[in-house]
Amino acid sequence: MPSIYINIIRAFIISLPGGLIYQSHLISSLLCLEGIILSLFIINTLIVLNIHFILANIIPIILPVFAACEATVGLASLVSISNTYGLGYVHNLNLLQC
Amino acid sequence: MTYVLFTLSVLLVMGFVGFSSKPSPIYGGLALIVSGVVGCMIILNYGGAYLGLVMFLIYLGGMMVVFGYTAAMAIEEYPETWGSGFEVFGCFLVGLMMEVGLVLWVLEFDEVVVVVSLNDMGNWVVFEGEGLELVRGDSIGAGALYDYGRWLVVVAGWTLFVGVYIVIEITRGN
Repeated sequence: MPSIYINIIRAFIISLPGGLIYQSHLISSLLCLEGIILSLFIINTLIVLNIHFILANIIPIILPVFAACEATVGLASLVSISNTYGLGYVHNLNLLQC
Repeated sequence: MTYVLFTLSVLLVMGFVGFSSKPSPIYGGLALIVSGVVGCMIILNYGGAYLGLVMFLIYLGGMMVVFGYTAAMAIEEYPETWGSGFEVFGCFLVGLMMEVGLVLWVLEFDEVVVVVSLNDMGNWVVFEGEGLELVRGDSIGAGALYDYGRWLVVVAGWTLFVGVYIVIEITRGN
């Protein structure tokens, strides 16, 4: 297995807890989600280019399509939170009504 | 020049550590753009000219612009950068130290055996040849999307259309 996959899998492993751990902003977790998708795209492209499987070049094109859908839904919910509360902080996501 | 691919992959991980240590979203977006550029250069080193261009245009030119505008909208007055505060700087330093450890490991042992044995050094180095090469495999394969993957185009297009409608409904609120 080629050694370059070490660093790209490390990039995925670094972004994954980044997306799961919340600091103050919600958009930071969305950025780490984009990082996960970017590392998946890179390793997908490198594997397909390495084994010269020409037909599988479709996959690195379809993957950002669905990633864009996911990112826009996340951004839309962020925008609605920001419109309601003024800032996109994570502790605004509470349903306490007392 | 022989180790350019190794250096680029190390820079990629450093960029990922940069936005995963959660500074303010503007600096996170900057680190993601830098990581995207470095990733595109890695793809270009493998002869994927078309897929590198796809990533530049659609990923950096489309999605990062949207992220930049949204971050500018949902941000506060004094954004925290990597040097302000102990948590962000500590996470950034830990990630960098781990990457330095890996570089020393690879330079010493020439292979990494964790679950599988990653020891094929043939892809760290670039074969420098002479003459003109024609990189066409990836653009031809992407063109097959409209031939063998007709139904996939229809499904992806419908997904995007429904996604736009969902976004409009979410931001409408009530």
